[in-house]
Amino acid sequence: MTKPGYILVKLVEVAVIFFIILTALFFLFRLSPGDPMSKMVDPMLTPEDMAHLIEQMGLDRPLWEQYLIYVKNFLTGSFGFSFHYGEPVSHIIVDKLKWTILLFTTSTVLAAFAGIFLGKIAAWHKGSHLDNVMSISALVCYTLFIPWFALLLLWILGFKLGLFPLGGVLSPQLWVGNASLLVRILDVLHHLMLPLMTLFIINLGSYLLLMRSSMLSVLREDYIITARAKGLSEKVIRNKHAAQNAALPVITSVGLSLAFSINGGALTEQIFTWPGIGKELIFAVSNNDYPLAQACFLLIALVVLVANLIVDLLYAWLDPRITY
Amino acid sequence: MQQIQKTKKNQSSKWCKTVCRLLLPAIFLMVITGALLSCNKSEESVFLKIGLPEEPRSLNIWLATDGNSRNILSQIYQPLFHRHPQTLEIIPWLAKEDAIFDEKALTYTVKLRKAKWSDGSDFTSEDVLFTKQLFFDFKIPRYYSKWQLIEKVEAPDAHTVVFYLKQPSAIFMSRIMTAPIVSKKEWEQVAKDALATEKPLRSLQDYQVEKPLGTGPFILHEYQKGAYLHMTKNPYFFGQGKTIAGLDLGPYVDNLLFTIYGTSDVAILALKKGDIDYYWWDVQPGYIKDLEENTSIDLHFNKKSALYYLGFNLRRPPFDDKVLRQAVATVVDKQFILNRILQDYGNPMHSIIPSGNHFWHNPDVRRYGDGLDQEQRIKAAWQMLADAGYSWKVPPVNADGTVAKPSDILLPSGEAMAKFVILTPPADYDPKRAFTGTMIQEWLRQLGLPAFARPMSFNSLLETVKGKHDFDAFVLGYGKLDLDPDYLAAFFSSENDNPRDWNMSGYRNPDFDTLAQAQRLMVDVAKRKQMIWTMQEMILEDVPYYPLYNPHIIEATVNRRFTGWVEKVDGIGSIWSLCMVKPVK
Repeated sequence: MTKPGYILVKLVEVAVIFFIILTALFFLFRLSPGDPMSKMVDPMLTPEDMAHLIEQMGLDRPLWEQYLIYVKNFLTGSFGFSFHYGEPVSHIIVDKLKWTILLFTTSTVLAAFAGIFLGKIAAWHKGSHLDNVMSISALVCYTLFIPWFALLLLWILGFKLGLFPLGGVLSPQLWVGNASLLVRILDVLHHLMLPLMTLFIINLGSYLLLMRSSMLSVLREDYIITARAKGLSEKVIRNKHAAQNAALPVITSVGLSLAFSINGGALTEQIFTWPGIGKELIFAVSNNDYPLAQACFLLIALVVLVANLIVDLLYAWLDPRITY
Repeated sequence: MQQIQKTKKNQSSKWCKTVCRLLLPAIFLMVITGALLSCNKSEESVFLKIGLPEEPRSLNIWLATDGNSRNILSQIYQPLFHRHPQTLEIIPWLAKEDAIFDEKALTYTVKLRKAKWSDGSDFTSEDVLFTKQLFFDFKIPRYYSKWQLIEKVEAPDAHTVVFYLKQPSAIFMSRIMTAPIVSKKEWEQVAKDALATEKPLRSLQDYQVEKPLGTGPFILHEYQKGAYLHMTKNPYFFGQGKTIAGLDLGPYVDNLLFTIYGTSDVAILALKKGDIDYYWWDVQPGYIKDLEENTSIDLHFNKKSALYYLGFNLRRPPFDDKVLRQAVATVVDKQFILNRILQDYGNPMHSIIPSGNHFWHNPDVRRYGDGLDQEQRIKAAWQMLADAGYSWKVPPVNADGTVAKPSDILLPSGEAMAKFVILTPPADYDPKRAFTGTMIQEWLRQLGLPAFARPMSFNSLLETVKGKHDFDAFVLGYGKLDLDPDYLAAFFSSENDNPRDWNMSGYRNPDFDTLAQAQRLMVDVAKRKQMIWTMQEMILEDVPYYPLYNPHIIEATVNRRFTGWVEKVDGIGSIWSLCMVKPVK
């Protein structure tokens, strides 16, 4: 198959899968118990009030009619208004997404770079003290329980030592004053450090271990022995011949992690009071805020599908053995 | 080979050094940044810093139903009448004096204060008329159903409003006059635009309010979503310098700064660190010991207008039998629940109206198993059931009067009692209710009843209990009940025994229905009180719900910078406190 032909087929595949997800999401939410009014345990709210609200949300219409409106809205680029916030869903997502990308995507990228770098070193020094320390540390990081670790860091670095703020994205007292732009940027970075550190440490473990094992299998390949026999320097063998090949499976993992990073993380967001999309997603699902929940999931699905496509194409570019 | 290993060893120490070189300056830089930033902060003393557990969902008062939004908006939008924080009586607020009731004409005449909106414009009777029209035009939930009692509203002058009722109403003052009044200026155009749409209410609720216009003590200065909400003192607040409810109202602080803390753990750390002065949420009993040891933190314990109860499905066996319900009530050890599950931070509940609501609460209702130990409870319950015709293969009480492990209870008809389920919310939603369900299951098994406690997701639980009526028993609660006892009628009137309606138990008692109707029309408070007391007695006799406990509301404040919090039912977090809190000199 030609390259453009391959890309076209992949794009059609993505579109079909996305439409299936779009439909499945709609019906899954409608089949889940309750409706947006279920959790309103307020005796002041009469059944007439509830019926009126349901009608105003358009949920009294037949399911097929709701589905057609949903598809039509999607095709016209409208996600509707959140039942709970009364705000356009697109505004809410954009609002939250910037904070999610800042924290989760940054931590994934940093952890991936550091993991590849340190995994390469650990594998290169296999069996040494350095390798042992790195591997055990990576295993510990990988198995850390996020809430416990996050609270521990908050308690030590934020509360006991007072080095970092106890959560949030900025210092309100600084922002209500006349702080300069630079100070505000520094303030956000200061707030970012603790959650970033938590996620970085937790993500680092998996990338390091993945890179190490991939590198170890590459180091056993004949072409590494050939490279040594050719008299190439250790640095060239490690960085050019071994690491580049070993990084392939790691890149796949990083690509998908990056895509899923927009999903955020409800626990991390909750503990650090980070206004990201993860907590919002959980809230929207548990409160049957259909427009918001659907839009969040569609966004995640879209990014994951596109990331998969990019990884597929990137793989072929990185590994000359793969052809279309 | 040796050469390779030597090279690798040198390299590994090189990597360590590189990592240290990168990490240490980064940490140092961050510490310096923190120090620089703290120098940039505004003068602390002028800000009363309040932590919220979640972000307010909306600043649109017609959409805001969550506690956090209401906490913010209650500082802005004000009603004509308010509840006295101590006596709980309805007292004039935006109204100048008590409403004058004309029994013959069925009118309430309300004189308004000469108050101003936060933009300096006058608050007049036109605003009251407009608010009423808004309720009617949009059928605004929670308000419309109550305001329907009003035939018409007239404004003879700018500061007088006359409400004409269709019939006498006991809830006129407590439910209608306590509704927030909005500014015609702010909402007129919005309402006009919304009415022209296909879904008027939804359009009204979707309107984005940037700067709400109110008559309350504070105004919204800035809202950074996801970060903070800054309110400043309203220079036009009508209560400033006045004595209302025996309190010399402020506000005495210029700024309120609301920040969000996602978990109680972090909020408590913030309190201890002094990052906030008050956390507007319940402190869980697990934190209390630690906070009590901290001299800079004050704990406030107040009663809650809440109801946590065991409910039965009276529509089907086995709980269609009153005696069985009474026997179940007898074996439930409320003191145990209080001691072990609530850790003594609460009260056992005896009537369906919480004891904190002291005017309406009837303390003399029938009590089950009061003062008995567990063995005596089982014997008493066994006796009640045996007298009603229940039997056991092995009874819970032996012939010699000792308690035994029972088996196979039979209904009076001789059929074996089928196993039944007590639904509870899951432990991650509310551990107290989940554990209470498990304890009740154990107590009932000691009586030989085939009870099974089953936690269920809250959505499914409500759908099953309220929507489908497909249940045997459940443990649920209301965290914040209105102080007017009219909810008794909502919970237990036969007319409300419909799917999704409030009579979840399916209680049907014509005498109760008559009283429930009559109390709504009774304007004489003393007579209505008598009716409400009788209704409570009926409920505790028939036991469609069995009240279990009422937890205290426990709140924490930092005492170094502010003082003057107003203690009341449902806690210190209220407009009263925010009007009275003063900086410590």
